[in-house]
Amino acid sequence: MKRIVAMNSLTLITAFLATLLILVPFDASAQKPIKVGVIDTYTGPAAVFANDALNGFKLALDEINKKGVLGSKIEFTTRDDKWKVDLGMSVAKELVMREEVDLIVGTINSAVTLAISDYMKSEKVPFIVWISKSEHITGSKGHRYVFSTGENTAMAGKAGGVALAKKPYIKYWIAGDDYEYGHAIADAIWRNLKALKPSVEKMGETWWKTGEPDLIPYFTSVIGAKPDAFIVCGGGMTMANSLKACKTTGIHEKIPVFMHTATDHAVLKPLGLEAPEGVMGTMDYHFYYPETTANKAFVKAFQDAYGAPPGFPAFHGYITAHFIAEAFRKAGAIDKEKFINALEGMVIDSPGGKIEMRACDHQAVLPFYLGVTKKVPQYNFLISGDIVTLAGKDVMPSCEEIMKARGK
Amino acid sequence: MDFSAFSSQFLVGLSRAMILFVVCGGLSFVLGVLRVPNIAHGSLYMIGAFATFTFSKLIGGSAGFWIALILAPLLVALVSLIAERGLFCHLYQREHLMLLLFTFAVSLILGDLVKIVWGAEYRSVSPPTLLKGSLSIFGASLPRYNLFLLIIGPLVAIALWLFTNKTKIGKISRAAAVDREMVGVLGINVSWVFAIAFVIGCYLAGVGGALVAPTASIIIGMDHSLIIEAFLIVTIGGLGNMWGALVGSLIFGVTQSLGVLIWPQFAIVFPYMAVVIVLLLRPKGLLKSVW
Amino acid sequence: MRDKEERELYREIIRSKWFGFSVGIVFLLLILPLFLPRFYVYILALIYVTSLLAMSLNLVVGHGGMFQFHHGVFYGVGAYTVALMLKKTSLPMWMGFIAGPIAAAIVGLIIGWFCVRLTRLYFGMLQISLGSLIWVIVFRWYSFTGGDDGLPGILMPPLLSPLNHSYYFILIILLICLIIMYLILKSPFGSTLQAVRDNPQRCEAIGVNVRRHQLMAVVIATFFAGVAGVLFVVLERSAFTELLFWVLSLEIFIMCLLGGWFTFAGPIIGAAIMVALRTFVGIFTEYWTLILGIVLILLIFFLPEGVVGFFQEIFKPRSKEATEGGNQ
Repeated sequence: MKRIVAMNSLTLITAFLATLLILVPFDASAQKPIKVGVIDTYTGPAAVFANDALNGFKLALDEINKKGVLGSKIEFTTRDDKWKVDLGMSVAKELVMREEVDLIVGTINSAVTLAISDYMKSEKVPFIVWISKSEHITGSKGHRYVFSTGENTAMAGKAGGVALAKKPYIKYWIAGDDYEYGHAIADAIWRNLKALKPSVEKMGETWWKTGEPDLIPYFTSVIGAKPDAFIVCGGGMTMANSLKACKTTGIHEKIPVFMHTATDHAVLKPLGLEAPEGVMGTMDYHFYYPETTANKAFVKAFQDAYGAPPGFPAFHGYITAHFIAEAFRKAGAIDKEKFINALEGMVIDSPGGKIEMRACDHQAVLPFYLGVTKKVPQYNFLISGDIVTLAGKDVMPSCEEIMKARGK
Repeated sequence: MDFSAFSSQFLVGLSRAMILFVVCGGLSFVLGVLRVPNIAHGSLYMIGAFATFTFSKLIGGSAGFWIALILAPLLVALVSLIAERGLFCHLYQREHLMLLLFTFAVSLILGDLVKIVWGAEYRSVSPPTLLKGSLSIFGASLPRYNLFLLIIGPLVAIALWLFTNKTKIGKISRAAAVDREMVGVLGINVSWVFAIAFVIGCYLAGVGGALVAPTASIIIGMDHSLIIEAFLIVTIGGLGNMWGALVGSLIFGVTQSLGVLIWPQFAIVFPYMAVVIVLLLRPKGLLKSVW
Repeated sequence: MRDKEERELYREIIRSKWFGFSVGIVFLLLILPLFLPRFYVYILALIYVTSLLAMSLNLVVGHGGMFQFHHGVFYGVGAYTVALMLKKTSLPMWMGFIAGPIAAAIVGLIIGWFCVRLTRLYFGMLQISLGSLIWVIVFRWYSFTGGDDGLPGILMPPLLSPLNHSYYFILIILLICLIIMYLILKSPFGSTLQAVRDNPQRCEAIGVNVRRHQLMAVVIATFFAGVAGVLFVVLERSAFTELLFWVLSLEIFIMCLLGGWFTFAGPIIGAAIMVALRTFVGIFTEYWTLILGIVLILLIFFLPEGVVGFFQEIFKPRSKEATEGGNQ
């Protein structure tokens, strides 16, 4: 009896101590680098974008770390949230409490973003969002500790509204991923379209589970309903899947389709020449437009490093790194509060021209390009054609509107 | 809602049910003979889909898909054979719970292996030229590929029936499902019977994966979403009963497609509700379980 | 239990050498937050919540012999109940904390009532089916449950807001539940349950209502799962659909196996190892599930009694009670 108890005790204690010991961090770096935690979805369809963003980020860091920032280098460590909110939360907690990062960047799933944003607010650690697009991130749920270097649904909604108001379509069908982003982009586009053209009608809505791999039944159902036009609100998991379903069902040949980000390279590339032509889309970055010196240099450097041209996530990742470096330089110290103060209102140079980090809502002011997917002889993927440019400040909500949304 | 929309949805649901049947037929077969629900079945299905992508890309062109349709399931069968002979067969003496947990472990490992081999990004396979585009049936448009599925499904059903009823191995498998001890007493190596049954079941999972490849995105995680559906289908069909798998697949595929018409947001709930209703009325499944 | 038996039981407990040791461990756990970094306090609290969940499952699996394949559903129901009440209503927090386990137990009663009519694999598959319906409804009812997004950002009252306070609250509830579970297992009900596990036909023959016993065990287990769900929300301030997904249910199963499902404290060890592995391995590689799969296979082949069971086996080779031999 005694030995059993002794063995049980030994077992329990050993397991317990081993558990603790395993978790002790054993890094001890001499000169304190700037630690950035990157949380993104590296598993599943959204991984295409996450990797693109990380590549842009790394490309910028290579340039930045040559000179260094405040005598240190910027280091980063990545974590995979696998598109799940619970995983995103636990890695955020691990990065903040165990790795003690100076800031966190990333996320593509808007639901993950909002959950982490809430946590970062309570921990008072800065969080820069680079792909997630829900306008609530810097809008109604924005706060001091969250920034966005990507465009958001308010901007895309306005651009989409402008584009569609010019068309003769009256009856619309709206469909999309049943999660934060899907609903946000649908609301934004419809709100703006209705304001510009009150005669439009919403025939119906279809919401499928996020990342639903088999969209054909939903698309054939929409074809049956015979709307004048079809707005697809697909997120990171679904962007390319929707285009594929378009091609399979041929819906875009019968009914005009509009989808924010349909014209993005990261979305079109995997489909190659099989992507559907004639789908309308909006985007805030194209590697082939505009053909400025800065853009061409960025594209060449990216192509040399990674063997393919950059999509919009790479652009966002790239400017995020530069924002971080410049803000720390201006702050003069690796201090979170000083970093935030420096970042507000900061303007940097980028492949897309000068980009400002608007102080009132922490949203980067980005240009918008409306286009239509089309085949061109020089590439074996589709690009955006008939491009119309909208300036960032024309599509963003005003500071007053933001403050009202935040309930201030 | 007009007739053409309804019929198009119904046919799409039916074709989806065919893929489910191919997969669940295999699952049911293994369940019947080995009495263990193979959780790794979903992972094998996923490997089938990814392998189809690789083969069709390697060979290229339209023929690529057809050849992949042959090669991918063979690869899956090979993987399952290795798992079975290497590890699984040593567990046949153990209680069934252990076998079940083993299949779960294999599903975890295969899931990550797919990620290691193919990377985490999604893949896309196009239907072969013959099956591209849509047809007009009853005024509704149905993708040609779905029509192809509607033909393949019954072919697989017939092939399975012929196998289990007309071939020697098939009959022995059926006997082993009902009374394995008797089969052993007759001098037949039961372990090899299990191996063959397992490999054939997994082969079908591979076929299912190959068939689904052109219709949906090939992504990590397709194993998880499939296996829960497959489990529900074999449960309502009657454990181990292949015709039950057919019935269950039809119920599942069609209720989901029609659900899209009635209440798109909860389309996916319809099949689950159908399953619960069936089980409340007949807890052991619609058709008789093999044991 | 009659008075005299009760007193005997308590005397036996206090006299056992287990008792002093357990008190020592508890004391250690109570003072740990004072000098441990925040992250480890968080991980320990997470281990407590998971241990409670694993212990609740083991009531019906290890000690009851039932194929409870979808235990996660009750965990999730407990978590979502309290989360929804805190988020959507302004009812006091305590009501939510009590509603969670009760809701879980009610669901357990309903699902259990159907499941106990069947045995073994049928029991398990039916439970997966019924449980999955609950999962899919929560998953798709975006406007009410937040669907795929889950319910993050739930505010805890100021008393429980700081991590250390949550830690103590969770630890105390865990200890109370463990004591209750131990008493249940030692009671006549517990002994009957184990007898039913080992030989249901014989129990029927001597007049034991097997179904009713099993159903009661399920309700008790699901009640505790609901408590674990509430504690999850206290710690994480959120609820997620993953709690209701079948993968988690199987993971809890593995925890019981890992620790040793015929032992009392086995699941706690199993839960601790799983949480530690997942956290630690997840930092260094993204292939955490691969490692888990390999560990599980090693367990099945070499250590089917689990960690604690293994140690117990070494030092008590032959005189183990009849329950051990009940393995079919």
